[in-house]
Amino acid sequence: MAGGERRLRILDLLIGCGDTALCTSRLCEVCAQVTGMNGAGVMLMSGEVPRGSLCTTNEVSDAIEQLQYVLGEGPCVDAYRQDWPVLEPDLANPQSPRWPAFCAQAIAAGARAVFGFPLQIGSVRLGALNLYRDRPGPLTDDQHADALVLADLVAQSVLVLQANAPANTLAVELEAGADLHYALHQASGMVSVQLGVSVGHALVRLRAYAFANGRSLADVAESVITRTVRFTATGDEG
Amino acid sequence: MPMTREAKFARTLVELADTLVVGFDVVELLTVLADRCVDVLEVDAAGLMLVASDGNLRVMASSSEAMRLLELFELQAQEGPCLDCYRTGKPVVNQDLAVTNGRWPRFTSEALAAGFHSVHALPMRLRGAVIGALNLFHVERGKMRQVDIDSAQALADVATIAILQHRAALQAQILNEQLHHALNSRIVIEQAKGIIAERQHLNMEQAFSTLRSHARNHSRPLVEVAEAVIDGSLSTSSLHHTGSKGRS
Repeated sequence: MAGGERRLRILDLLIGCGDTALCTSRLCEVCAQVTGMNGAGVMLMSGEVPRGSLCTTNEVSDAIEQLQYVLGEGPCVDAYRQDWPVLEPDLANPQSPRWPAFCAQAIAAGARAVFGFPLQIGSVRLGALNLYRDRPGPLTDDQHADALVLADLVAQSVLVLQANAPANTLAVELEAGADLHYALHQASGMVSVQLGVSVGHALVRLRAYAFANGRSLADVAESVITRTVRFTATGDEG
Repeated sequence: MPMTREAKFARTLVELADTLVVGFDVVELLTVLADRCVDVLEVDAAGLMLVASDGNLRVMASSSEAMRLLELFELQAQEGPCLDCYRTGKPVVNQDLAVTNGRWPRFTSEALAAGFHSVHALPMRLRGAVIGALNLFHVERGKMRQVDIDSAQALADVATIAILQHRAALQAQILNEQLHHALNSRIVIEQAKGIIAERQHLNMEQAFSTLRSHARNHSRPLVEVAEAVIDGSLSTSSLHHTGSKGRS
């Protein structure tokens, strides 16, 4: 299929599907649908770290995003850092040993193949599109080509939507389905007071606590905010 | 053995491409273009005008810094082949200045006084967008060969694509910075809410209204107040929650 034709076909799916002009609420669904994957997610990155996800289609794609946010490793993080698609057709038998923590947990969450595509416009990098499937196997050439077009269109959509937002504010269309870990940052603020440390250090302690107790970071953050978990200099009490 | 025109032309394309790879600079690109029109296409002078944000044409590059030539470009913000070419998006070629007197009275007399007798303007356009024009001058009367016109247009096209790409990239970069700024601002505010909530035993909603009323009362941006709370330069004891207290 010619490149232009492919782009038009996908644009057709993205435009005018209801609420907003660019269909942000269904951005991830369209990505999964077009590529024939089980799910998709769009991760925003800033500097070298994940900031959160713009959308995810289901629990598995949400888990894939959360894992990369917590661990700071995985196909999306690498795709963003390397400016290149990062493909892992079989998490159980990776082609090269990478993301030891991510692979096991992503499989446990229900993913078997994960593909990350950088969101970029020229030298500008925004994050990554993540696609997953519950069975192992590579992308076909057609799926790969579709994913590249999708990543490009998603990147453009994000910037176009943000262009109309007031200064210092995330566009409401982007905010709607996003998980930008606000509760975690609130909890970091609280823990920084409890421990008398910086918010950055408090975030590290929260991550360590979640990891040590086998709980999700969002879950721990919620416990801190509802004051059922409190951090003390001598140790953490539940 | 002297280089053939084809070889010179090919070398020029490579040279233009080179200016794009290392630190793109519009003026440098357009200066190379103007100079090569003189070298390769045997015109006597060349210049480039781009439309500025106010909608007027500005001279961006010239094959010579001679004042008389620069004036000829400046003039064309008002009248002349470049302006016509820019407005229509079509080439204005082989204008014999001896017989175009009525069309651009001031430009024509200045050009003749500078010693030019034939003038051409080629659009810098990509699809619908016209961003400026390439202006070529000949001392001798006579027509430019079509192959030379085509070559000049090809060089102008390469420069146009480069400039439009560069502008799109710049625009994307600015928007991306705004996006990251928005994301960071929000994180800073959430962190400050947590600090205030913990210190003053408030829930998040109350902590936010405390933060916001301080910002309003002191006419400071919310983000700035939040940053001050985080770095400790604003003590939370100086923040007052006005509503009812309560633990979330």
